[in-house]
Amino acid sequence: MSSPALEGFLARLYTDESSLAEFLRRPAEIARAAGLNDAEVLALEGADHVGLVMAARSFRAKRRRRRNHCGLFWLFSGRKR
Amino acid sequence: MTGAAAAVESRDRFGLGWRPELAAGILAHLAQIDLIEVIAEEYFDAPRRDLRALQTLAAQVGIVLHGVSLGLASTVPVEPRRLDRIARLIDATGAESWSEHLAFVRGGGIEIGHLAAPPRNEALVEGACRNLERAAQIVGCAPQVENIATLVVPPASRLDEADWIARIVCGAGVGLLLDLHNLYANAVNFGDDPHSLLCRLPLERVKVVHLSGGRWIDGPDGARRLLDDHLHDIPPEVFALLSELGRLAPQPVTIVIERDGRFPPIARLLEQLDIARAALAAGRAAAT
Repeated sequence: MSSPALEGFLARLYTDESSLAEFLRRPAEIARAAGLNDAEVLALEGADHVGLVMAARSFRAKRRRRRNHCGLFWLFSGRKR
Repeated sequence: MTGAAAAVESRDRFGLGWRPELAAGILAHLAQIDLIEVIAEEYFDAPRRDLRALQTLAAQVGIVLHGVSLGLASTVPVEPRRLDRIARLIDATGAESWSEHLAFVRGGGIEIGHLAAPPRNEALVEGACRNLERAAQIVGCAPQVENIATLVVPPASRLDEADWIARIVCGAGVGLLLDLHNLYANAVNFGDDPHSLLCRLPLERVKVVHLSGGRWIDGPDGARRLLDDHLHDIPPEVFALLSELGRLAPQPVTIVIERDGRFPPIARLLEQLDIARAALAAGRAAAT
């Protein structure tokens, strides 16, 4: 029960506030619409939603800090300095 | 310190993460530092003069590379071009080893911009082991892999953290870079006992230890979790874990303090290195 599709889905939740908000309102429906299988949908429905919110906030703050400090954000984005 | 503890301790090494803000202080105190850990990605596109400076530094102090962007803990194969860059940098700098995180950093074409904890399950164990094998083939040596901190219980997990890490580290036959603040944060955030979590890891594979600090943050519904932010001093609980590691793992280890911001005077970091030396030595002494 793990797939590139699940990793892509989580990456979207961690980077797109509106996608996360939509998921928290209708987790099973949104996960199914993303093409995840039944086991993945069930796992996401029962996931640590508080933690998802906190992780997404933390990632957002770290991306912002890196941009502001002209620091390591390019490492992940693939952009050259 | 007893003579025996001092002898054992002399095989261990102590260093700092290399950051531009700390460079002057590190260069002025090389006698107190055994090695520096360099973020690999910062030098991928570095001008030749920067690489030469790193080579000069490598002649005076040990250098190890630390990657942050490979995303080895993934069901998606790591791209060879990313590994090629690590291989070239090791050649260019003479770094003695390299490390990466047990994390995924992208998915579906989206860059997360930080280290995310993947689902801890068998599929990820297999994916990570495949990626580590590929990394060893292309780079010429396998990385040591680091446990990461997470604010969320990774969705779709079926293995606990210690079991998941052990299966990857032992399955791929690689060394463990044990981040003790990450371990501590995950334990306190999700109701585990840090010392129990430590004991369940494959400690015989620990080659490097990271020490850092963090702060408590508030979340929805009154939740509070410990964030590993590398902006604060190392808490006493982490030094206690280092002592415990010294007691349980007899092999030589390399200790690296990571600090990414709110930089204190270099004297403060050197003082923390001394506390780390004493903590590890105390653990070594207790084992004898």
